[in-house]
Amino acid sequence: MQKQFIEDDVIHLLKHYLPAQATLKDFVHHNSLHSFQEKEFFDAIFSANKIFGFQVTFNFNEYRKLYKQGRIRSEIIDRVISQSKGKEQVELYKMKMLNGQFEQDFIPRVGQLRAKWKEIYKMDLDNRVQPLLFRILASYIDQGISLWPFPFEDTGLVNAIRTLEKNSFSSFFKSKRAKKCLFDESLTIEDLLTILVGKSNYFSNYLFDQQYAHKGWSGLFSAIEDNDDTIFYKKKVALKDLIHLELLMEIDALDSNLGTDWSPLATNLPDKVEDYLEKVNHSEIEEILQLWQEAFEWDYYDEVLSGIQFRAKNKVAPPVQEETFQAMFCVDDRECSLRRYLEMEDPNCVTLGAPGFFGAAIYFQPFGGKFYDKNAPVAADPKHLIKEIEIQQVRKNEIFHSKQTHTLLNGFVSSFTIGLLAGVKMTLDLFRPRMQADISNAFSHMDVHGKLLIENRDLSEIENGWQVGYQISEMVEIVESMLKGMGLVEKFTPIVYVVAHGSSSANNPHHGAHDCGACSGRPGAVNARVFSYMANHLEVRDRLAKRGISIDSNVQFVGAMHDTASDEVVFYDLDILSDSNQLLHLKNVITFESALDKNAKERARRFASINIEKDIKKIRKEIKERSVSYFEPRPELGHGSNSLCHIGERERTKGLFLDRRAFLQSYDYRTDPTGDILKQVLGPLPGVCGGINLEYYFSRMDIEKMGAGTKLPHNVTGLVGVTNSSDGDIRTGLPLQMVENHDPVRLLMMIEQSPEIVLKVIKDTQENYDWFAKGWIHLVTIKPDTGELFQFYKGEFIPYHPISKVLHAESMMKVIEEAPEMITNQILEATKENIPVYTY
Amino acid sequence: MELLVYTLILTPFLSLVISFLFSNENEKPIFAISIAGVVINYLALIAILFLWIGNDFDPIFIKGPVLYQTDDIDFTISLFIDGYGLVYLFTSTFLTGIIIVFSKNYIHREKGYKRFFNNIKFFYLGLLVFLLSGNLETLFLGWEILGVTSFFLIGFYRERYLPVKNAMKVVSLYRVADISLLLGIWLCHHYFGYSINFNDLDGLHSPQPHIVNEVFYQFAIPGLFLIAAMVKSAQFPFSSWLPRAMEGPTTSSSIFYGSLSAHIGVFLLIRTAPFWEGNYWFHYIIAAIGLVTLVLSTLTGRVQSSVKTQIAYSSLAQIGVMFIEVSLGWYSLAIVHFVGNALLRSHQLLISPSILSYKIHHQFFHFIQPKKQGSSSFWQKIKLSIYILSIKEFNLDGFMYRSLWNPLKKIGNLFNFMTFKMTLGMIIPIYFAGLYIVYNKTVIPNVVLDYLPEFFALFSLIIILKAFVERKSARNAWVLIITNQLLQSLAFGFNDHFDYNQVHIYLSGIVISGILGLWVIHKLKSQNKNHSLNQFQGNVYEHPRLAFVFIVACLGLAGFPITPTFIGEDLMLGHIHENQFPLMIIITLNLILDGLVIFRIYSRLFLGRHQKSYHEYAYRSS
Repeated sequence: MQKQFIEDDVIHLLKHYLPAQATLKDFVHHNSLHSFQEKEFFDAIFSANKIFGFQVTFNFNEYRKLYKQGRIRSEIIDRVISQSKGKEQVELYKMKMLNGQFEQDFIPRVGQLRAKWKEIYKMDLDNRVQPLLFRILASYIDQGISLWPFPFEDTGLVNAIRTLEKNSFSSFFKSKRAKKCLFDESLTIEDLLTILVGKSNYFSNYLFDQQYAHKGWSGLFSAIEDNDDTIFYKKKVALKDLIHLELLMEIDALDSNLGTDWSPLATNLPDKVEDYLEKVNHSEIEEILQLWQEAFEWDYYDEVLSGIQFRAKNKVAPPVQEETFQAMFCVDDRECSLRRYLEMEDPNCVTLGAPGFFGAAIYFQPFGGKFYDKNAPVAADPKHLIKEIEIQQVRKNEIFHSKQTHTLLNGFVSSFTIGLLAGVKMTLDLFRPRMQADISNAFSHMDVHGKLLIENRDLSEIENGWQVGYQISEMVEIVESMLKGMGLVEKFTPIVYVVAHGSSSANNPHHGAHDCGACSGRPGAVNARVFSYMANHLEVRDRLAKRGISIDSNVQFVGAMHDTASDEVVFYDLDILSDSNQLLHLKNVITFESALDKNAKERARRFASINIEKDIKKIRKEIKERSVSYFEPRPELGHGSNSLCHIGERERTKGLFLDRRAFLQSYDYRTDPTGDILKQVLGPLPGVCGGINLEYYFSRMDIEKMGAGTKLPHNVTGLVGVTNSSDGDIRTGLPLQMVENHDPVRLLMMIEQSPEIVLKVIKDTQENYDWFAKGWIHLVTIKPDTGELFQFYKGEFIPYHPISKVLHAESMMKVIEEAPEMITNQILEATKENIPVYTY
Repeated sequence: MELLVYTLILTPFLSLVISFLFSNENEKPIFAISIAGVVINYLALIAILFLWIGNDFDPIFIKGPVLYQTDDIDFTISLFIDGYGLVYLFTSTFLTGIIIVFSKNYIHREKGYKRFFNNIKFFYLGLLVFLLSGNLETLFLGWEILGVTSFFLIGFYRERYLPVKNAMKVVSLYRVADISLLLGIWLCHHYFGYSINFNDLDGLHSPQPHIVNEVFYQFAIPGLFLIAAMVKSAQFPFSSWLPRAMEGPTTSSSIFYGSLSAHIGVFLLIRTAPFWEGNYWFHYIIAAIGLVTLVLSTLTGRVQSSVKTQIAYSSLAQIGVMFIEVSLGWYSLAIVHFVGNALLRSHQLLISPSILSYKIHHQFFHFIQPKKQGSSSFWQKIKLSIYILSIKEFNLDGFMYRSLWNPLKKIGNLFNFMTFKMTLGMIIPIYFAGLYIVYNKTVIPNVVLDYLPEFFALFSLIIILKAFVERKSARNAWVLIITNQLLQSLAFGFNDHFDYNQVHIYLSGIVISGILGLWVIHKLKSQNKNHSLNQFQGNVYEHPRLAFVFIVACLGLAGFPITPTFIGEDLMLGHIHENQFPLMIIITLNLILDGLVIFRIYSRLFLGRHQKSYHEYAYRSS
């Protein structure tokens, strides 16, 4: 039976399975296996493994070594087995886990059909087609590296090449037939496939093979096709065009090597075709690997839950004195240590967490900007535009990146001028690193002293379909839901800081991955300023008071941004502060500064180049310098090691050392007996935190196929992505230097609320429910009064009793100083670097 | 003074040897030893500079140890420094220092940290030997080290397909350059009758009395050196290897392919200038090559859409300009141009990853849509044609493949009818018969004897061609190479005035490395490892030590300088007579091919993707 080939359906399917990463300027974390997310987690990852050949877990050898090393405890294995297989099966499965012999070698489905070219015709088709194809694709997409842009780029790839070929005396093609096919506009992909493959039931598989052989380029084409905001220099981009061109080039390569008398690939193949995407049946290997991975995860979770339960039962006494200041932070895992140190430096301060766009989902246009930046979670669809209307500093140019140095004459002159100077500059860059024009600076996204237009002046003021600025009523909504969500509805301190975060780094095409994930990979300072403006607005406050949130007139909100790489905090709009607040602020700045010192020291423990026994100020300086050093591929470690998300009062996690591994969302169950607030708070979290966590998980598990590999050979291509070499494919995912310290475990979300309410809330939206029900995120609730734990398992909450001992440290700093440092980034070594959960 | 100059070579050598004592995890000592080596050299260079100035800028010449000497041949390591050399030495040492400090953090925790530093130091050592060389033999020694380390540096990510493929591509071109240089040296021996030193180089004026066709030498010697220089400096038509060499970490691409390695051809031309200065044809040829290169590279550079290849092509265009400067006799200008271009391109490459955020930010505020391209007028059509050609790099990437490798492959396939066993069965009796005749030349009439060298050389060429197209078994290919070498030595054996001692030196190298290689292949086989040459096996993943042993065997078999094979090879080449032109061509092809086959066996067996899928491996295209 011949299966019908419907071109659009297959391309649609293909687009679904290709990586969804846009250009690097818009780096946003997402689940690398998003296309399998409708399946249950382990079914999904093992299917992806068999279909595409991704590594999705460690191998047996690695798990077993982790067991011997003590990273996976025997008790936890027992527990994992008895939960999923039953108590009586423990011995049997444990024996298989520890001693079973399994052959893990296999050939993935995708790629098998096209491999036959080499078998049958002794010809390496990819080698003949890909280098030129990639060069054409890169030149077509190129945003501004080449001096000579691809002509006719507004007509689509295939059309542009048609025009090009028609009007030139040279050609990309060697054979007549391919060129004839190019000019025949009536030919479809299906027609070309008929020439190449023959039998139509093989077409779909052929396209999967072909496109997955360079999934980076294909994914990028598909992503730009779906959202062309991701490129500034607009080109007409379609995956279909890429496929069309590649098929033509394949015909060309075959014709010019074999003449025209070769028969289509599938001629002698059986009529019955295995559908690549057909359900994958899992074997015992997967069953055992699943147990290992669960044991690896629960070994850590159990330790955390013991600590959480301990804290719930032994509450830290609330501050005796009056609270000095409140500071809202992003939920980001990198902020949890800064918050910890603020609270240590000033026990009377209060820190809170919420997604770092602070309710203001916006587009932002800096002064003089020709485009817009989205400063909102990826899933959000902002309706408002915030414009910068005044600036004080203009960014300088960097002559060494000038295109002029690449022309013949200017290149000649450059050699004798800036060329000789380059020697001096190289030396300075090495020994005196400093901020420069080509280093991405978190504080240059928006001018530190610039002015923003936040309040809408006129309803008719619409730009690009967005309303310019917010109306009062909209501001009230945002401020109210933010404050209520965090449970901050009374006892405001004179200054409430709204601290966003961003990250500076040099020589880092992936810098967007270090910025705020809740702001689509950009620094969040704009959002912090916008929120502060709203909360300071007198009319907003009047209306808030009517809704039960009364904020004293002496209370002022101050926007700020923390640079997570250089460990600096900049405060915005300080001129609005009243005199008394001015004084309080100066005191708080001292608190911030010494907290930042300690934060820098804690981060420095994972950097081999910094000796953390040095003077703390020196450490801080070195931390700052590495954020502006060209030679530093690890300005910071990003979300590496992230694994937890706590939704509840800060009091419950205070006094618990979580090693910068937790997203912390503030939420007060007392203000939310119905769960309505929880529903709104929970809304963006699975997408943002789960997306980050899973991208790290998969990049760590398969750094080559899902991660971007090591950063060091990366070659910026077309300003849209990185390739490894001149003839290579675009690399998607995270580079090794970002994930090497990451223990790939799924996110454990802990909510401080009764299981009944949580169940009701998560069942409310199918999308969020699936995250938990299909096991992409683990969920545990902490019963508010008793501290009892409930694990979400197969659709219901069952009691969980942690078995780990709770460790206690007299001085956390001492533990940090003495913590081991990983020698290699192999998992067995890397995992040793994490500090266990301590109470302090 | 002598001591200072020796220091320049001994320090990097010691710093290389010492770091073998450490394992990959000892990053700090590895770095410390590396940087110490460069700093000591830098100080020594400054001292040498002052002594040189104090000595009225007189070039320095030092006759070093004699490696081999007979009546008519002496193989001596001698060193020579002049102004050009000093500038290049300073630039290289400075850049190497910068790159080592840069790499300390950049390469941190990379699987091949130690390997990277060792390669950098080995490269630097080769560069110094090359720059300091006082005669052609020493120069060749440095040149070969550069070639081999380039193979390692380009293929640094040895588990991925493209780096290994491109490393092979570059090395196969380099092999052509190596053999050109070797032949050039051989012709010089013939011409002068002794090994010449750079300090008393005075052009091709004083041939040996028996030289008849002097014009031939006046073109062939500089011509061969020019080919070597063109390949190493990626001049037309060899340009396409340079962008493809950017496979390793940014730092190594920056220093070598951005600057030091790519300019070596310019230096070689200046160093060998006395050979061609008197021949006005060469001024035109060198200028023409420079001109074509600068035009094509400028055009190709204009359409490059990735930052590293763009820098490679713009650097290349400037090197083309340097060729023109050299052809005009403006050596000082060329050398200053080299310094500026080398520093500029190194720096641009080092900061190349930052171009993404910089340019995107710049575009955000200043983007202007480029003008639409027209297609109606004739001039516009010409422009579009050039655009297509530039994207295709003027078809230069396939040049060597089309013009040399493919024809050779076709010839090799003609002998497919001979199975491996049949070949061996044929060779063994012939070889032993030949061996007997060599030691008892009287048993054969002189007429036949005269043709025997060509006969055996041709026979060995067929063998190496068979090895060249061998795809099934690494062992068979390896055995064929050994046989090829044995037959070659027989060919030499029939040349008169022959010193058996030299053959024995040569054979000792072949036998030891041959057996070592066979042992490694046998070891892989005994562990059920596939040893076909059809695809990359990536065995280095599980057997890094075995890979190291095998590469040593490969270098030995390929006649890497300092190995007995090389000394023997070099000595024996000296015995080919100038009228034995066919023999020379056959031997040349032999040498080019055996290097290639040996490197291919190594990369197929040990490099590329490891064939088992229990761990992560990269896509072929990545």
